[in-house]
Amino acid sequence: MVLNSIEIVYFLLSIGIILFVGRGVGELLRKFKQPIIIGEILAGIILGPTIFGSIFKDLYDLLFNYSPTINFAFNGITELSLVLLLLVLGLEIDLSLALTQGKRASLVSILGVVFPFSIGFIVAYFFPLEMGIKDYAMRLPFSLFVGTALSITALPVAAKALMDLNIFKTEIGMLIITSAMFNDLIGWIVFSIIIGMLGYSTHSLELHWLLITLAVFVGVILLIGRKIINYVIPKLEKHASYPGGILNFIFVLGLFCAAFTEFIGVHAIFGAFIIGIAIGDSVHLKEDTREIVQQFVTNIFAPIFFVSIGLRVNFIENFNFLLVAAFLLMSVTGKMLGSLLGAKLGGIGRENSIIIGLGLNAHGAMEIILGTIALQNNLIQPKVFVALVIMALFTSITSAQLMNFFLKRSKQLLNFIGLLKPENIFFTNASSKQEVIKELCLSISNQYKLNSEKLISEVMAREELISTGLEKHLAIPHAKMNIQNPIVALGVHKNGIDFDSLDGLPAKIIVLLITPLNDPELQLRLLAEISTTLGDAERIGKLVELTDASEFITTLKQFS
Amino acid sequence: MVFQKLGLAVTFSPNAVSLLKTAKRLQNLFGSELLLIHAGGKSIETEKLMQDLLRQTDIEKNSYELIWQEGDPSKVIINACKARNVDLLIAGALEKESILKYYIGSVARNIMRESPCSILILTHTSTGEKPFKKFCASVQYNSLGEYAIRKAYEFAKLEKADEFVLIKEFEIPGLAITISDTGSMQETERKRAYWQREEELKLDVFAKELNLSGVELKTVCLYGKQGWVSSNYVRECGGDLLVVPSPQKKLKLFDRIFQHDIEFVFKQLPCALLIIREDHN
Repeated sequence: MVLNSIEIVYFLLSIGIILFVGRGVGELLRKFKQPIIIGEILAGIILGPTIFGSIFKDLYDLLFNYSPTINFAFNGITELSLVLLLLVLGLEIDLSLALTQGKRASLVSILGVVFPFSIGFIVAYFFPLEMGIKDYAMRLPFSLFVGTALSITALPVAAKALMDLNIFKTEIGMLIITSAMFNDLIGWIVFSIIIGMLGYSTHSLELHWLLITLAVFVGVILLIGRKIINYVIPKLEKHASYPGGILNFIFVLGLFCAAFTEFIGVHAIFGAFIIGIAIGDSVHLKEDTREIVQQFVTNIFAPIFFVSIGLRVNFIENFNFLLVAAFLLMSVTGKMLGSLLGAKLGGIGRENSIIIGLGLNAHGAMEIILGTIALQNNLIQPKVFVALVIMALFTSITSAQLMNFFLKRSKQLLNFIGLLKPENIFFTNASSKQEVIKELCLSISNQYKLNSEKLISEVMAREELISTGLEKHLAIPHAKMNIQNPIVALGVHKNGIDFDSLDGLPAKIIVLLITPLNDPELQLRLLAEISTTLGDAERIGKLVELTDASEFITTLKQFS
Repeated sequence: MVFQKLGLAVTFSPNAVSLLKTAKRLQNLFGSELLLIHAGGKSIETEKLMQDLLRQTDIEKNSYELIWQEGDPSKVIINACKARNVDLLIAGALEKESILKYYIGSVARNIMRESPCSILILTHTSTGEKPFKKFCASVQYNSLGEYAIRKAYEFAKLEKADEFVLIKEFEIPGLAITISDTGSMQETERKRAYWQREEELKLDVFAKELNLSGVELKTVCLYGKQGWVSSNYVRECGGDLLVVPSPQKKLKLFDRIFQHDIEFVFKQLPCALLIIREDHN
């Protein structure tokens, strides 16, 4: 089967339009701080039979349904896109992190999978017809599929949300990422077994043989292959051209392993995902290389796949409100309950547990990929697929916003300016360092019900080790106490006070910082932030001229 | 006193003399007691070998205690340290074990993982016979991390070291994947640079808070897998002693298969290694 000249024209045109519209809508959504892939999926819905195809049917058929040969070629490209998408997802799974996580992360990870999976499985198993099963004989794989679809987390969406909310590097951020990696690992393994149960491949083995082969494949790649890859990568980087040599190695390995899993009767994407993990685990793989691979797949192949989803299905015809509502309800309930319970058992506070649940509830691209394969293999009806896509879009769009809402109540975004209340700003005339420390300590110990004597002695004890008088009229006396949240009080001394400062200059701004005993890193972060924000003579000069606490905070905000 | 009682795992290996000389040097440096532990049976032959060894190092007879104990070498050494309240065990190790030995666990690697006290591991290239000049300490922001640095710094002062480098490693797993949603490498790079600055600032504050003086202090922030990047850095910058706090949980075979943190250091020692353990006695 060969494409003739006019077919090549339409084929190239359709790919060009897909990339153009996909990027266009993606960029538009980016302005609204939404993931680009949501724009790409919407672009597909706009271009496909749902909107453009129903209005300009002839033009739609001409561009996207010109001939079976074009469809054949197009399917080949979307299949390749899927394989590469899972390869890059695998690259970012930190196997050691996911498998050797601490108790807290393990609880969140495991319960965050078990709860939604169980809810999805039970509901689909006992109400398969209501949940849109295509073939009743497939009740078990269908139920497993629904459970998996509800338990999987979109690592890219979660990572992007954490970055936007500036909590990637916090304890919660790391918990979400670790759990998302674990969820994906488990989710794709379960899904590969479902695909094996369907026996969709012509080469498919008996189920028990398939499971054994699959286990051997995963074991060999993750235990031995991973070590060999780790050995080969530095040799390649040394002897082959960069980045060509290493990129070739990654893609060739990805395609070979994808071909293998397809051959044994599990979808090709599984092989790509597992080898992606093995490659990504190498300590020799440069961050630059990861980013180049991401760029290549994200900007060229991912849009083709995500836009093509909307080209295949009419979202209006297949929209079933009850099904969408049921999926959404199960997803939110399962993920939130699982994560909340895991976080609670791990000793994490309520707000933070909710943030974790919301972060892990973003299903995004992963669920759409699952749904696409299930649809291709006749496991689900188009209406189930549409419900899954809408659920994926909804959870992805809302997760960052909802997380942000709860973040405001959580400790994760604590910063110096946020902690400083107008009532904790004092304009002082104290005559000595000891006096100003005492003044600040007494005022906050009354307000926060702290033992004032202990507080003063802790701060003074720290002061005796080495003076906290820094340079440029700034001093940050500090101590750790048995408290839940950090406390900041600020003294303004217009003429300055001797604080044994490093540069000998008197301290005009004195920030008293009290942090929880069990969080030494938080103290360091806040000290670093305060010295960066206020370690400037000009800024201090402006601040000491102010006489109103609220105005003081407004001015401080301008500095940050 | 930095360490009160030193223990030395004595074997009849080619580097035994070098290890004894180092133990003697450190005993004098710290003014501590020295316990020599030989995991093996006492016979006329082995006793003669031991006497030869001790003669070669000019170690005075009343300056040490020697114990002979048959059994599994790593267990014998670990138990002797526990029973005699040793607070620094000195042992020799290969820089890199064969793959099989690494996974099964050699005597040296086993005691590195299970030692009840602080442990100084010496290699062929970092024998410790001469004072260590460049100390590199891996930073952890917790009480053990701070304790390890203070302890190692006292050691560095006694050694009259040239430099003491504080190394802070940090990594954001999954960061590269954010490119797939932003489509922008710059945004990810900008964020990483921001976090790098934040970590550097924190490390500077940490160093100031330690209030150490006597040996030049330097700070370095490295992005990458913990244990791996510090090992590479130490190798490249010519550090001759890497100091790490002891792992907070017992390391098992699983940790060797899915290596992380200190296991990267154990896999291939970049130089001599000092693992500091708190509350050892």
